[in-house]
Amino acid sequence: MSNTATISTRKTWEGGRSPFDVSYGKLMMWVFLLSDAFTFSSLLVGYGAIRFSYNDSPTPWPDPATVFNHFPFAHGIHLPLLFVSLMTFILIFSSVTMVLAVEAGHRRSKSEVSKYMIYTIIGGIAFLSCQAWEWTQFIHEGGRLDSNLFSFTDAAQKKADGLKLFDHFHWTLADKAPGPVPFASLFFIVTGFHGFHVLSGVIINIVIWLNVLKGTYEKRGHYEMVEKVGLYWHFVDLVWVFVFTFYYLI
Amino acid sequence: MNNASSHNDQTIGEYIPETYIPHTESHGTKKLWKTFWILTFITIIDFVIYFIAPAGLVRNVTFVAIGIVKAVFIVGTFMHLNDEAKFLRWMIILPAAIFLSYLAWLLLLEGSFVNFDKWLRTW
Repeated sequence: MSNTATISTRKTWEGGRSPFDVSYGKLMMWVFLLSDAFTFSSLLVGYGAIRFSYNDSPTPWPDPATVFNHFPFAHGIHLPLLFVSLMTFILIFSSVTMVLAVEAGHRRSKSEVSKYMIYTIIGGIAFLSCQAWEWTQFIHEGGRLDSNLFSFTDAAQKKADGLKLFDHFHWTLADKAPGPVPFASLFFIVTGFHGFHVLSGVIINIVIWLNVLKGTYEKRGHYEMVEKVGLYWHFVDLVWVFVFTFYYLI
Repeated sequence: MNNASSHNDQTIGEYIPETYIPHTESHGTKKLWKTFWILTFITIIDFVIYFIAPAGLVRNVTFVAIGIVKAVFIVGTFMHLNDEAKFLRWMIILPAAIFLSYLAWLLLLEGSFVNFDKWLRTW
């Protein structure tokens, strides 16, 4: 009995084959990612509505470049958005190592798959550490889920607007005024949701990496699990692109 | 048993879940690294535009456009959607594009409702 029916003898929707030429698992991963994309979009649309409601407000929306101008080991030096760019680069690079792992899986090269997955996991952990540092800084400077010390008094605002790259700055409590609470709460919620996805991605990557080492996929005959997990990881990277565009840039 | 021997006979068109081995071929890593450099370059452009261009609608639209370009690269090349069957590609792209642009349009159209109570009190 032969299963060598080729594609040409089985029409797409005739049954007995996957009409999309992918396995069920991969197809469902795509569908899940689509649904998650809708979730994040709704979150970002909500963010957009709230953020723009503050355009003509007496407590204006803080400028993210002034708020997020910190960098580890460079205390007090004005480096606007540098840390966020570092985080973006880390995530993009981990995406590359992930896709290299997938490509090595296509060649059934177990050692390379394992190597690139380790790089991806390290990249993910690095990103999470950076995000944790960012959160700590923000909380330290007054951001909370229900309050926000991130507006400046008028005098301090003038000082802030005049800051140039590498300038030294030092804000005291006298420079700060209560600002729009949603700035802080949305920061935690939007980056928190994303960070949660990164965390689950790292955990799943670790599980799959252990399975690669164990030889599960060699036995199975294919490394498609690595592909599926790679899809999830790339989605996480894609969401970050839009989160940082909308929260930090726009 | 049958399944064990027909393992290698399966082509991409056959789908028996338990023994399905997807047809995979390595396309090499050149394209992937090229995409990485393009993405890095675009991200740098992103930040340059942020600091150079004046704040406003044009800059915001540019950011969204740049984001979409990055999305095309990430979804098409990194997630290999460009190499998938046409039907699957459209099944993912079309609903996403339709719903997401609809959401954005709704936001722009109705978003000012957020200040409705404030406006009402001006009466």
